[in-house]
Amino acid sequence: MRGESEPPMSFHRILFAAFSFLVLDAAAQSGPPPDPSIKDKVETCVACHGPGGNSTSGAFPVLAGQNARYIYLELRDFKEGRRKDPSMDPIAAPLTQAEMLALADYFSKQKQTPTGFVADAAKVAAGRKKSDEVLCPMCHQGEFVGQNEIPRVTGQHYEYIKKQLADFKAKRRTNDAGNMTSVAGTLSDADIENLAQYIANLN
Amino acid sequence: MSTVNRACTAAVAVAALAFCVGTAQGQEVSGAATTVAKPMSANLVPITGDMLQKAAADPKNWIHSNGNYDNTRYYPGAQINAANVGKLKPAFVFQTAVLESMETAPIVINGVMFLTTSFNHVYAIYAVTGEEFWHYKHKMGPITTYCCGPNNRGVAVEGGTLFMGTLDAKLVALEAKTGKVLWETQIADPDKGYSETMAPVVVDGKVLIGTNGGEYGVRGFVKAFDAKDGKLLWTFYSIPEKGHEGVWAVNDATGRDMHRDIAAEKAAFAKDSSFYQTLGGGVWMTPAVDLKTKTVFFVAGNPSPDLYGAIRPGDNLYTNSMVAIDLDKGTYKWHSQYIAHDVWDLDAVSPVILTQAKDKSGKMVDVAIHGGKTGHVYIHERGTGNLIRFSEAMVPQENMWVLPTKTGARMLPGANGGVEWSPMAINPKLRMTYAANLHQPMTYHVEEAPYPGGSKLWLGGAFKTIPGEEQSGRLVAVNLDTGKVAWSHKTPQPLIGGVLATAGDIVFNGEANGWFKAFDAKTGKELWKYNCGAGVNAPAVSYMVNGKQYVAVAAGGNNQIDAKRGNSVFVFALN
Repeated sequence: MRGESEPPMSFHRILFAAFSFLVLDAAAQSGPPPDPSIKDKVETCVACHGPGGNSTSGAFPVLAGQNARYIYLELRDFKEGRRKDPSMDPIAAPLTQAEMLALADYFSKQKQTPTGFVADAAKVAAGRKKSDEVLCPMCHQGEFVGQNEIPRVTGQHYEYIKKQLADFKAKRRTNDAGNMTSVAGTLSDADIENLAQYIANLN
Repeated sequence: MSTVNRACTAAVAVAALAFCVGTAQGQEVSGAATTVAKPMSANLVPITGDMLQKAAADPKNWIHSNGNYDNTRYYPGAQINAANVGKLKPAFVFQTAVLESMETAPIVINGVMFLTTSFNHVYAIYAVTGEEFWHYKHKMGPITTYCCGPNNRGVAVEGGTLFMGTLDAKLVALEAKTGKVLWETQIADPDKGYSETMAPVVVDGKVLIGTNGGEYGVRGFVKAFDAKDGKLLWTFYSIPEKGHEGVWAVNDATGRDMHRDIAAEKAAFAKDSSFYQTLGGGVWMTPAVDLKTKTVFFVAGNPSPDLYGAIRPGDNLYTNSMVAIDLDKGTYKWHSQYIAHDVWDLDAVSPVILTQAKDKSGKMVDVAIHGGKTGHVYIHERGTGNLIRFSEAMVPQENMWVLPTKTGARMLPGANGGVEWSPMAINPKLRMTYAANLHQPMTYHVEEAPYPGGSKLWLGGAFKTIPGEEQSGRLVAVNLDTGKVAWSHKTPQPLIGGVLATAGDIVFNGEANGWFKAFDAKTGKELWKYNCGAGVNAPAVSYMVNGKQYVAVAAGGNNQIDAKRGNSVFVFALN
């Protein structure tokens, strides 16, 4: 509640506030609203992953538009300890199956917005070549839109992609049934850099 | 279970298999409206136990997915025969609302046909004109896990009730007259990789059904449910809790060395033998039932993970085996394993057929036979499981049993077979069994992979087709008494779907390019063909209405070999 002593808003401030609200609202509602049963859970998620799952930090993956199946399985893996992350572990631990499915459904239906990543053209070209060579599109599909349990990676944060590839390579992340650890094992640091540039630059 | 979609076999099997896995959301068809709702035929009668037992001699009805409890797929009528099949014409085409892979074997009772589609729709139609009586759409749960297409292979029937297994691992009982749900029961947890695509079998008031999931680390089983209310009566696990290490077999059933490192396996087993819960062994095709001896016969599929064997030392019993169990109690009788500790996904799938064949001394005896992905037909003594003989290889075999490597080792047959799930048919007069085979050269790759937690594809490697190497199919007739190949018909694409043989000495078989063909059962001569416009990858059935014989087959294409999709059942008759 606003204090009595606070001066009334100027017209400009009101306009600005209204505009900001509209912008924020648009971002938050980039798709259908969440099921009322998980409203508070969504609030927890978006604190890091951004409104509607459009994260603004490379430390947190974009969830907007991600495949529901993938989101559900990752939440399940965090909950059951097959994937580990100090922030995610305690958040996923109390979730029920119904909540995980509802969260997956919600974020999968939000519209992904560009991260604003500025790519290095030479690295993008090298990344595209590497992607074709190691058959990324066989699972992730062309343009990295993913399918079912295979995640959408197109336009994901550069830092996040780079970290995941490095984690698969070093077997710090092993909840992939062996597919990504196998491919990542063949990648050099330069390959990882180029792939991250290429994929983050996709829209 | 083994199955790889062609898109995936083209490069990485892992990939394409994965796209068949999904939540139920967004998978469905749109515009699944019903064309007509004609009042149900008054001729629809309850199916008695006696009718089910005598189905092999009944040319009017087709009341088991494979024709009878013996799974012979031998139709006893001969109105359509080798002399007149050339005049066969379409009588009608029934279009479903689901444009996706069709593997259904329709059931026909007094002119009423029950057919299923992908995503568990069921239609009841008039088997003379294709007019629709009712259409049932299963309300799918939020989680489904299946590797190789949202398939369904048909219903079972007893009394006035139809029984169907679903992708979300339920058993559903429907009133045959109306399509109304009478009961449904959860067979297993789809979140752990269980799903149902097989047609169940009903016998003595028990519905018998197994499970898919060999690519997801399930523990396979056959379960019996009470046909009245869906109550679980017994469970036989195809992976025993104790003893799954078996006898540490060095050779396969044909006597070839499988190149196992038994010492290393034994050492690993001593450290950990607790993996039976995720060892696979799906049972995903309809069992055969011998009512004389009250025995159920089936084959169990591959161990999980498919290609990475180090994590599951031992013979992995009863994977890749024919198994006989007691009908009343579900207790073990015998097993006979084809490939111990399989690391090629060359599992046993095609349904067991009960028939007779000469034993080694030339005496005609009761046998149980299986067409393997290895490309052999295996003929077992029915009472003991002893292998009497195995047939000549029906498809090329090369480099067996080379072990999978990181970079890939080439071996034939490829991981789909040989004979995949496609049911064989027999002609007892001609002493032959007919098998639909694939020929897909592949390389086998192994990758270390711990259990990923269920409902995530867990191959532990990949099988890849080899660019530039021709793929094809072979429809092969094998003599039951000698194991010799009697004739073979090469097709331009691998064969998946299954065979129908009839007393008219014809064999019917479909192809991925839309051709549905009839062959002389004795010689293999092509007698007739019709192009259905979509892959014919389902087993045909035959029946009579008002004294006229019909042949019905689904043309819906196939997910596994990526055959062109369709949505129709074609029904043929003589004018």
